[in-house]
Amino acid sequence: MSLRFERIDKSFGAVHALRGVSFDVAEGEAHALVGENGAGKSTLLKILAGLVRADRGEMRWQGKPFAPSSPREAIEHGIGMVYQEMLCLPNLSVSANIFCGREITRLGRLDEAAMRSRTQQVLDRLSLKIDPDALAESLSAAHRQLLQVARALAFDCRILVLDEPTTALTDAEADHLFAVLRELKKGGTTILYVSHRLPEVFRLCDRITVLRDGSLVDTFTTAHVNTNDIVKAMVGRELGVRRRPSGFVETGSKTGEPRLSTNRLSRSGYFHGVSLSVWRGEITGIFGLVGSGRSELLETIFGLHRPTAGEICVDGAPVTFRSPRDAARAGIVLVPEERHRQSLLFNLDLRHNLVIPKGTLAGNALINSRDERRDADRILGDWRIKAAGIDAFPDSLSGGNQQKVVVAKWMATSPRVLLLDEPTKGVDVGAKFEIHEVIRAQAGEGLAVLVVSSDLPEILSLADRILVMKEGELQGELDGATATEESVMRLATHDAVSV
Amino acid sequence: MKQLRAIRELSTIAILIAEVLFFAWYLSPEAGRAHPFLNAENALLILKYSSIYGIAAVGAAVVIISGGIDLAPGAVIALAGVVTGQLYVVDGWALMPSLAAGLLIGVASGLLTSLLVVIVKLPPFIATLGVMGITRGIAFIITEGRYYDVSGRLPPGWRPMGVPIDWLAPIVMFVMAVIFQILMTRFQWGRSVFSIGGNETAALFSGIAIGRVKASVYVISGVLASLAGIVLVLVQGQGKADLATGYELDIIASAVVGGASLAGGRGSVMGAVLGTLIFGVLRNALPQIPGATFYDRLIVGVVVIIIVVADQLLLRRSPKS
Repeated sequence: MSLRFERIDKSFGAVHALRGVSFDVAEGEAHALVGENGAGKSTLLKILAGLVRADRGEMRWQGKPFAPSSPREAIEHGIGMVYQEMLCLPNLSVSANIFCGREITRLGRLDEAAMRSRTQQVLDRLSLKIDPDALAESLSAAHRQLLQVARALAFDCRILVLDEPTTALTDAEADHLFAVLRELKKGGTTILYVSHRLPEVFRLCDRITVLRDGSLVDTFTTAHVNTNDIVKAMVGRELGVRRRPSGFVETGSKTGEPRLSTNRLSRSGYFHGVSLSVWRGEITGIFGLVGSGRSELLETIFGLHRPTAGEICVDGAPVTFRSPRDAARAGIVLVPEERHRQSLLFNLDLRHNLVIPKGTLAGNALINSRDERRDADRILGDWRIKAAGIDAFPDSLSGGNQQKVVVAKWMATSPRVLLLDEPTKGVDVGAKFEIHEVIRAQAGEGLAVLVVSSDLPEILSLADRILVMKEGELQGELDGATATEESVMRLATHDAVSV
Repeated sequence: MKQLRAIRELSTIAILIAEVLFFAWYLSPEAGRAHPFLNAENALLILKYSSIYGIAAVGAAVVIISGGIDLAPGAVIALAGVVTGQLYVVDGWALMPSLAAGLLIGVASGLLTSLLVVIVKLPPFIATLGVMGITRGIAFIITEGRYYDVSGRLPPGWRPMGVPIDWLAPIVMFVMAVIFQILMTRFQWGRSVFSIGGNETAALFSGIAIGRVKASVYVISGVLASLAGIVLVLVQGQGKADLATGYELDIIASAVVGGASLAGGRGSVMGAVLGTLIFGVLRNALPQIPGATFYDRLIVGVVVIIIVVADQLLLRRSPKS
């Protein structure tokens, strides 16, 4: 066997991240590692990559004990890591990115020609039509992801480790990635694939190892199990059947003015002539691939950008928001896509993170600590946020609980319109379910929700009405109750057709 | 956060006490002679001279917590002192209007920095480097090499609001430290400063008026520097263009030693003030050690590094994921 984890144990302070995990990855197989956020996958990968050391237990790699003390040592032993966050140097060329840290030199001088031709070879092998001299920042998200794969291949990695590689990719881009991975597997490369997305795992992997709360549940042979078995193993319980959208159609009535509407709203370079309405108590979904202008649309409604044409109306009256603060004061709030970069304050504890929007919008100069602590405590309980307490810091929470904090902090402001951008990106199955439940419940109480997602099952299960966006324009509208993955994808990828 | 901050301030106090005990022991005189370091007069002297740094360090801490940096305080101290001196000594203005004009220098330089940082979107380092040059330059243009003996012109026995002149600087520092400590920990504004320093994008997305808060931070730093400047010319006498040269770096070092992170989002006003006292004690005690005269800059530099490294080790040990 090629890689073996032997009773790996690791704690961070009071958090027991891995509890004696043992499994092996066979030579030439594609092996999936799945589990909810906080299950210990990332920690295991960090140990493999030489970023942290195990407290107990050992790794064996190609028959020999293996304990890399730095990422460099791991790379030198043929471990090719492809990280979830796309690590690249945007200001450098593709070939410089691929050889960063291990440049080919001649007499101490950089051998650009050799690196360029080697880069071209690797890119060809991945069937990527990218210029080795192009700047990394000019690449799409998918290509940047594949750049990391190329980097691993350029170093002749013997095992390719991918951590949630499709998080930022569209389905088409993910398909390309899979084609590449399958090719590599055929060529004998061992793959360790970490993902939340089970359909991907089933498409690619021979065996599936499930972690839960830092412990190994089991390793399954893909051919012998189905998605439900794996979900059950991951969460340790059965999740309720996904509900079809309902509610609005029966209870709400589209009388009067929509709560939020846009009238031929445009922002040049991003989206054009977008007219949509969101009604009280309704969940409207926008499905669109990365680069379709959906995030920019939400951000523009939220006052982060000025529209170049068109208008935004709340309850029928045109509004102009000069900042997110303006929008939030009018009761329009946005849960942005990247919680690390756009939402969480890692220098402040959960109490502050939870009460800041409410506090800063209320306009009281003085902080009332006692009230805030009480509010924050209540939110932790209501939302079942798993944390040591309101004095804990956000980086001690799993992704799903972090996302609950972000949604909860906005719900505490009693908004009238909730804009959600990829609300469950990088969130584990259990938290995703709970976040969906909350969104439905809030809509049931009259909140107008506009949710953007590239996660098709999410849009289908959540939205009462689905708008499809492509290249900055709305392509059409589907009824959430009757839409299928196919009908949505058809609108998103083909030219506008009537449905 | 509160706990972390409390611990950090305690450790700064501990360093200060350890430092005082060390010098009390090291400089202890032969029996029967007065202690050259450990006496009330010397303590007041240390307080008096540290306070000039301390007043400006309050502003520096606020700026650094917001994720910015201000290189102008030294120059603003000088220009405020010079303007006060020119108006009071040469132009024959009354004292209070002269002092007010000195304070306005801080408002003006702070507004200029705000404009450059918030509207023009220059990096704070560059913006304040420019403002530092401009303010220092204006000070030279006004003085043309002269200096103004402000304290010599003060009415004999002048006691602003009943305070002996020697106590003026420490009291101003203490009052400012208390006011800003409360503003930073008990008010939305202070929490916004922490938020912006921790993650400016997230602060923007959270509905915080980041432009306004950042502008306020630089105006506060300017005003506190000019306050330090007018207090300086009142208690030490001379207003001149090369006054407080290099103070900006000592002030930043004090804030950092007091627990502020140059990455933003972390630090405290009280810590910064305690940091200036740590340096104040060093500056006072080192020259009293025979033969150490030429070593004091070196020792100050080493102390900065030791304290900050110790702080990082301390922080690394606290459980974090």
